[in-house]
Amino acid sequence: MKGFKPSAPILLLLPAFVVLAAVVLVPLLLSLYSSFTPFRLTRPETFFVLIGFRNYISILSNPDFWWAFGRTVLLLTIALNLEMLLGLGLAMLVEKATRGQRILRTLMMFPMMFSPILVGFQFKFMFNDNIGLVNNALQSLGITQDAIPWLIESHLAFTAITIAEVWSSTSIFAILILAGLLAMPKEPIEAARVDGCTPWQTFRYVTWPFVMPFAYIAMTIRSLDVARAYDIVKIMTDGGPAGRTELLWTLVGRTAYSDARMGLANAMAYFSILLSIAFTVYFYNKLAAARAQIGAEW
Amino acid sequence: MDENASARLIRRTLTVGHRVGLFLAMLVICLPGIWIVLSSLRPTVEIMAKPPVWIPQQLSFDAYVAMFSGIGKGGIPVLDYFRNSLIISVTSTVIAVAIGMAGGYAFARYRFRGKSGMFLGLMLTRTVPGIAMSLPLFFVCARLGIIDTHFGMILAYVALNIPFTIWLIDGFFRQVPKDLAEAAQIDGCTRWQAFWQVEFPLARPGIASAAIFAFLTCWNEFALASQLTRSVNSKTLPVGLLDYTAEFTIDWRGMCALAVVMIIPALTLTYIVQKHLVGGLTSGAVKG
Repeated sequence: MKGFKPSAPILLLLPAFVVLAAVVLVPLLLSLYSSFTPFRLTRPETFFVLIGFRNYISILSNPDFWWAFGRTVLLLTIALNLEMLLGLGLAMLVEKATRGQRILRTLMMFPMMFSPILVGFQFKFMFNDNIGLVNNALQSLGITQDAIPWLIESHLAFTAITIAEVWSSTSIFAILILAGLLAMPKEPIEAARVDGCTPWQTFRYVTWPFVMPFAYIAMTIRSLDVARAYDIVKIMTDGGPAGRTELLWTLVGRTAYSDARMGLANAMAYFSILLSIAFTVYFYNKLAAARAQIGAEW
Repeated sequence: MDENASARLIRRTLTVGHRVGLFLAMLVICLPGIWIVLSSLRPTVEIMAKPPVWIPQQLSFDAYVAMFSGIGKGGIPVLDYFRNSLIISVTSTVIAVAIGMAGGYAFARYRFRGKSGMFLGLMLTRTVPGIAMSLPLFFVCARLGIIDTHFGMILAYVALNIPFTIWLIDGFFRQVPKDLAEAAQIDGCTRWQAFWQVEFPLARPGIASAAIFAFLTCWNEFALASQLTRSVNSKTLPVGLLDYTAEFTIDWRGMCALAVVMIIPALTLTYIVQKHLVGGLTSGAVKG
């Protein structure tokens, strides 16, 4: 190997690759393998029995799995869109404020500091049908007499989870979109106003294209850890009532650790990984496109 | 009413509307946190009271005292959890930032084949959901006998943080003009010296933010920790929260107190980091 000299960037990236290979890649390959076995934690010898695609066939023909899959996609769609809209609104409110920018920005980031599991407990506490803040407030204001079973009725539970999820992640969008608004040059807006654009037109054709890449950065970052919802759901309802709020991730966790059916769970886990990768690649491409679009103007 | 007066009226309405909207938004954002702090300071009777008690009659630090007085006195081993959390988070942050600096520098300063593909590939390793990751990792760790140890957790968290740390640090190195390091090299520095004397000091605030961000990720992580830890040997604070839940009841007051203990370090660190964080996330990604 005399004269072989790896280039500097490869050498610099090597530690990162080694760690990621050891902690992410190898276990993933292992789990790929075990998704083709009937592996149960309680019976180690099953690790070496190959059963082909039977795990995949059994999850694909399992309606519970498809419900969980659909619910996960639904939750992500609703939550991401709401977070985007609310984040945009919040960022514009804060940008317009003439005083107290610094304190407002800090307050805006408040939910980002909460661990997802903490968000789960906090909203479980607030949505508690008996002693929760939400029901107490509704009853004290005389809006309703009965205790609303927030976490017990299936649609309400889904709503409560969505609220918790949106509360915890809107600030990521808000803070990045605010950064976009602040970085934006002011001349185009003035030019648009002089040319007689309505406020809506100014927003739609001048502000929005500038802010879009920042929104996609937020989307990309969010899609990197969409699975945060696992912690929240795990704590708030643990998939209940009767599996009505079961997401892909809680289903994987339950199959693996409560039922100890690792092989089956790994097959499901692969679906959730593919889902996450699809989200990330989609937004990453959008980001690249949006960047190229304003690249010429900057 | 003449035109001036009506224009003034519209403007005033808009200002008032803006204030009200801002106030409501901030209220929604802060209310859950305030409620937790409040609940940790009032007796359980008041939390459970029906009809609700809105204004606390008496405030006390009983929940905190009970929590820190250890097992057997109504507390949980919070100090152990706190120590575990601190050791695991700090160690993995330091390692992740060191590796991230090398990687981020490579992405910011060199051109090489497959660069953007590699970058995306790195990001994709981060998308693997914690719970999906925990199954094989649990299996590997159990085989290697590093389950319920600090080492296993640190290793997992380093891997968890590397992609994001590289993204952030890459952004900060891009903000440092290339010419500065080149000038230093012309003046006789080696590349290594130029890095430490010129580029590192300039990127330092950004790298500090990346470190804080990595720390917070470890500090708050639950999905992996809940499977890879078993006992006071390595349980972290987020897993410790579960100690306050019994099968059918939850000690809300104790839990709120622990939540406050968890949130205070996070709050302080995020406040320090906020400005640099946004700069780092956007600079690399927008200016390409």
